[in-house]
Amino acid sequence: MKLALTINGAGERMEILSPAPGCRFRLGDGAESMAEVEMAEPGVYSILMDGVSYEAAVTETPAGMVVVIDGFRFEIDVRDPRRFARRTAGGATDGVATVAAPMPGKVVRVLAQAGEAVAAGQGLVVVEAMKMQNEMKAPRSGKVLSLHAREGDTVTAGEVLATIG
Amino acid sequence: MFRKVLIANRGEIAVRVIRSLREMGIASVAVYSDVDRTSLHVRMADEASHVGAAASSESYLRIDRILDAARRHGAEAIHPGYGFLSENADFAAACEDAGIVFIGPSSASIRMMGSKTAARRTALAAGTPVLPGTECGVTLEQARDFGRSHGFPILLKAVAGGGGKGMRRVDREADLESALRDAASEAERAFRNPEIYVERLVERARHIEIQLIGDRYGHMVHLGERECSIQRRHQKVIEECPSPLVALHPEMRHEMGEAAIRAARAAGYYNAGTVEFLVDQDRRFYFLEMNTRLQVEHPVTELVTGLDLVRLQVEIAAGGRLPLRQEDIAWRGSAVECRIYAEDPFNGFLPYPGTLTRLSRPMGPGVRLDGCVYQGWTVPMEYDPLLAKLAVWAGDRPEAIARSIRALREYDVEGIRTNIGFFRQILEDPEFLAGHLHTGFIDEFFARHKAPQPPPGVRTAAALAAAIHSAARGPAETPRPGGCSRWLDTGRSDLLR
Repeated sequence: MKLALTINGAGERMEILSPAPGCRFRLGDGAESMAEVEMAEPGVYSILMDGVSYEAAVTETPAGMVVVIDGFRFEIDVRDPRRFARRTAGGATDGVATVAAPMPGKVVRVLAQAGEAVAAGQGLVVVEAMKMQNEMKAPRSGKVLSLHAREGDTVTAGEVLATIG
Repeated sequence: MFRKVLIANRGEIAVRVIRSLREMGIASVAVYSDVDRTSLHVRMADEASHVGAAASSESYLRIDRILDAARRHGAEAIHPGYGFLSENADFAAACEDAGIVFIGPSSASIRMMGSKTAARRTALAAGTPVLPGTECGVTLEQARDFGRSHGFPILLKAVAGGGGKGMRRVDREADLESALRDAASEAERAFRNPEIYVERLVERARHIEIQLIGDRYGHMVHLGERECSIQRRHQKVIEECPSPLVALHPEMRHEMGEAAIRAARAAGYYNAGTVEFLVDQDRRFYFLEMNTRLQVEHPVTELVTGLDLVRLQVEIAAGGRLPLRQEDIAWRGSAVECRIYAEDPFNGFLPYPGTLTRLSRPMGPGVRLDGCVYQGWTVPMEYDPLLAKLAVWAGDRPEAIARSIRALREYDVEGIRTNIGFFRQILEDPEFLAGHLHTGFIDEFFARHKAPQPPPGVRTAAALAAAIHSAARGPAETPRPGGCSRWLDTGRSDLLR
């Protein structure tokens, strides 16, 4: 099975030659490797590779998969190129900039309206959590194509609040 | 002794108090807001009462509702924890009037130590060193005069201040006018009080505090110091006992302890309290303020002295005598506490509430975890982001740090972001290991630090885990290799539970 991976934003090819637990695989242009993979707990994999023991905790988030090993955090998107292409994370379309919530919270103020022209750095939406307020600014000048946030809304991290085109 | 005590708080400190009460055979009453019904303190307490809406002004700060809950449940005393109503003199007075024991000092002591300027006067009168500063709000003229006579840099602070709001460093007289204007307008917005006072600024200051405990009969001892210099946004994140500075200069513990007791006695203080000092590079210490309650970081003192501060608080509140003389207090080994917050340290420490999809806790030798979280719990966005306090004890400071790093490696919280990984980087920092601490440490750390890179095997293992996990998710996402695999079926059914 050939897979196309995105690891922390960088593209990488991976080929699984035999399935777990005795897994043969190839990452990128590297040599064929061997690893013992066991799911120890739901979403937690114990991996023995070259005599080294790794514990990988996999969490699925709306933005993609997060794998944590020994405190190191990897955001990984896995695609099987034989199947239809899945939408890419972030949903970026050419020429359109998206403004996403940097943290989960509540929308306390909306400073712009759909259709309005905004300058780069202009405040669009203010999100509050745990007594901290955070103002989301336009990443570039343009027109507000859409604005999904309303005062009082609860938002999750990474949720697109506005698009600028 | 009391038979039943109400805890006017939530989160980890409510859980901490319930634990001591249970050990003492005292029933506990929790209070909770709309969003805390399934919080751990409610689940653990013997009894519980709803006190209002999510906003703390409608629940945890409602004196009337909390006293009403205490009466309905027949609680004889109230433990206020820290934050919320713990330093509210009106609340302590309302408890006194209602005939319910407030587990803390008298309302009169809270008033004497509550306002920053009143506390300064009390400390000065008691002969405790205070940083040169003005006694009240200043005009531009007065601030300029202060700067000329004491020298720049100076520090502007809001009279009604807290949390760093309205605080400005001024390096040159030319910057004073605009800095004062900015500070006053920030203070006006934050506290509806634009008054600004001035203090001499101490470069690379340490924050070291003294834990006190005293009974109602005039007997008081100090339990040594805590080093709290590692701060972000003027809030402590790592605390230690002993302080690495005091460990090198043991006479400081006695001198600061005596000075703290003098200031507290001047306020007629009893029960647990903490006097905070600023320490300059010449090891001179200055009274900063007194916290008239239990501190967040009290576990490091407990680990090193072997005492249970909550138990002592309850015993003293019940009219007991403090069973300790100063010479009975012994400090053994070294303790380090990390405050685990729901926040993203690599994105300006922005808070990160949400649902814990996975929780794996550290265990083993010397590890104490005071927390309020469990897997599946949603961290509410209305309150402080403190999830847990990881306090670790070992024979000396290097071992305590190594043990903390080991415990942090075992700690896995998913679904939200936390500062667990950040603490590992701080604790491995050579400057931290050398004990060169000051309140600007984290800013300097970010300026000189490069994020550690994972070894190549770690990245490969992560990619493999993602690929296998993705395959095990089932045919809706990716076709299963080989048609049939018992291992994958097990994986799927586990994942679908």
